[in-house]
Amino acid sequence: MDQAIEAKALVKLYGKIKALDKLTFKVDQSEIYGLIGPNGAGKTTALRIFSTLILPTSGSAVIFGHDVVREAVEVRRLIGYLPGEAGAYKNLSGYEYLQFMGKFSSENRESLNRTVEDAAKISGLGERLKDRVKTYSTGMKRRLLVARALMNRPKLAVLDEPTSGLDVLHAYHVRGIIKQYAKDYGVTVLLSSHNMLEVEHICDKVGLINKGRIVAEGTPAELKAAHNAANLEDVFAEVAGLA
Amino acid sequence: MLKGLGNIVVKEVKEMARDPRILLGMILAPLIIFPLMGFMFRTSTEAVQESLRTMSIGVANFDHDGSAAQNLTAYLQSYGNVRLQNMTAPSVSEIAALAQESNVTAVIIIPEGFSKSINENQSGQLQIYGVFRGGGIAGSAGFSVVQSMINSYIRELTLQTVKQEFPQNPDFVLNPVNVTQGSVVQSKPVDVAPTTLFSIVQTQFIGLPLAMFMLIILAMQLAATSVAAEKEEKTLETLMSLPLNRFTLLIGKLAGSTIIAAIGAVATIVGVIYYIGSFTFGGPAQASVDLSAIGLTPSPIGYVILGVSVFMSLLCALAVAVVVSVFAEDVRGAQSLLGFVYTPLVLPMFVLMFADINTLPFALRIFLLALPFTHPVLASQAMMIGDYLTPVLGIVYVAAFTLVIMYAASRIFATEKILTMRIRLGRKKTVQD
Repeated sequence: MDQAIEAKALVKLYGKIKALDKLTFKVDQSEIYGLIGPNGAGKTTALRIFSTLILPTSGSAVIFGHDVVREAVEVRRLIGYLPGEAGAYKNLSGYEYLQFMGKFSSENRESLNRTVEDAAKISGLGERLKDRVKTYSTGMKRRLLVARALMNRPKLAVLDEPTSGLDVLHAYHVRGIIKQYAKDYGVTVLLSSHNMLEVEHICDKVGLINKGRIVAEGTPAELKAAHNAANLEDVFAEVAGLA
Repeated sequence: MLKGLGNIVVKEVKEMARDPRILLGMILAPLIIFPLMGFMFRTSTEAVQESLRTMSIGVANFDHDGSAAQNLTAYLQSYGNVRLQNMTAPSVSEIAALAQESNVTAVIIIPEGFSKSINENQSGQLQIYGVFRGGGIAGSAGFSVVQSMINSYIRELTLQTVKQEFPQNPDFVLNPVNVTQGSVVQSKPVDVAPTTLFSIVQTQFIGLPLAMFMLIILAMQLAATSVAAEKEEKTLETLMSLPLNRFTLLIGKLAGSTIIAAIGAVATIVGVIYYIGSFTFGGPAQASVDLSAIGLTPSPIGYVILGVSVFMSLLCALAVAVVVSVFAEDVRGAQSLLGFVYTPLVLPMFVLMFADINTLPFALRIFLLALPFTHPVLASQAMMIGDYLTPVLGIVYVAAFTLVIMYAASRIFATEKILTMRIRLGRKKTVQD
């Protein structure tokens, strides 16, 4: 079993709207895979299916050998999911929030302490973790949430727009965390982004998604070479028929 | 199956208890507002009592030399707290002007010939004018005291007159028949008047529906807020992706809401008890009737059954609130949707506080019995007469009702509907990407 994710002909219908149209792709273990595309391309829908939050209308998705529909409980034990628009409980302190989340994946107090310590380091929030979440800036909140998604060293981290809404400094910090964490612990990462430069910087492999299906796939270097483009933005413009 | 339940409950309680809206609105406000209202009421009551201690009554006596008029003024003066002011003026209008300027509570006008009429066994005429100085309780209470003094004088006069004709037994003429009242409780006679008994029972047992009402409203608000806030604050998706049984999440939310609602209800009841305790002025001494001695209190088993009945209704209310809140987009939306549920589900139980269900029209009776929140009230009434079958049947019905709602709630929690369902009031249902 080499594949962390294997999606086959995934279709998702919301009424008459087709969010995914036979989406098919694979992600290897320990790979950082970037799913990039415009708004409404189906990125969030795909990530929600892999995180067992919504069901596909047809097709299949397998995470480390477990089907997301039939073995949802198993899949949830393997993943760390960061939603695109996520919040944290504003009346808890950052530390309490991490403890609350850590308890679901920790077997005992020792492992909980280690998990929370890890998360505290990843977040880089230091003493501010003692403050209530409602006093945090958007960037601080996002760092806390990224730390939460990675804290239990999941086999697969599913990150929806991890740097969305962040300024340069916070975005830089978050990108650094993801890359370092994947390298240190062999975590597979599936992330979505609008930011082509970001994806080019941290992803081993990229899937360009448009209208619910993959329109091009490869390493950033392969894609640029194949389309004779200076960057991924130009590649996307060409394959989506915008150029 | 319920792994992680404790973690969810602790989080729910922390989140809610630290929310200033909940802390102030549901816990601190009742503890402050009700005692404050009670304090203000008691202070004003004491002021009224103080004013009655030194009451002034004006007397305009046009029957100067009459013996009955002199007897009347002497009788009024025998009350230690009354100060009589003579008001001398030729007409009622001028007497009224004098009374308004002075501090008298009322003016008694004794017309010329008052004593002559009485001495000739004819009805004498008296005029009493209460001096109106605004709508306060003090004025009304003062005038009532003057009235009862005059009534007392009339009774005294009647007794003296009757004594002349029936020197042996004047009380017989005044009270030819003495009536004693009693009640039949659980097939046994009890020496307590029915009106007194009803009054005591209503006072004692009105507390349960009231506490139930408050607890249900609070719990429903909290449970709905707890689910809707997860949506509003965008924390639900994260929670749903955790290795946590969805049923455990549902139970955790219900338990957290119940704990906070119970604290809120206790705070409210403590506040209300203090408030009610302030209404001591003029109240009847009802505490002397021992309800347990006449078999009008439930047995220990009865209390347990009543507790189970209340708990089942509460659980049902929470499940309804959770189902409703699933359809809301945010906390405000959840509160609005809940508003539609309050009226048909909670208010009918107030009908039972004032009416016996067996006397209601058949259709209304069936409607009330179909509502889960009426059963604890019915149970509390049935307990008083030793009827345990009605509460037990009620518990079975509410349990079945709750199971259906809980099943619906857990189905919604187990599917993507909790993330995708939306009802916007006034708009069509939509599905969100």
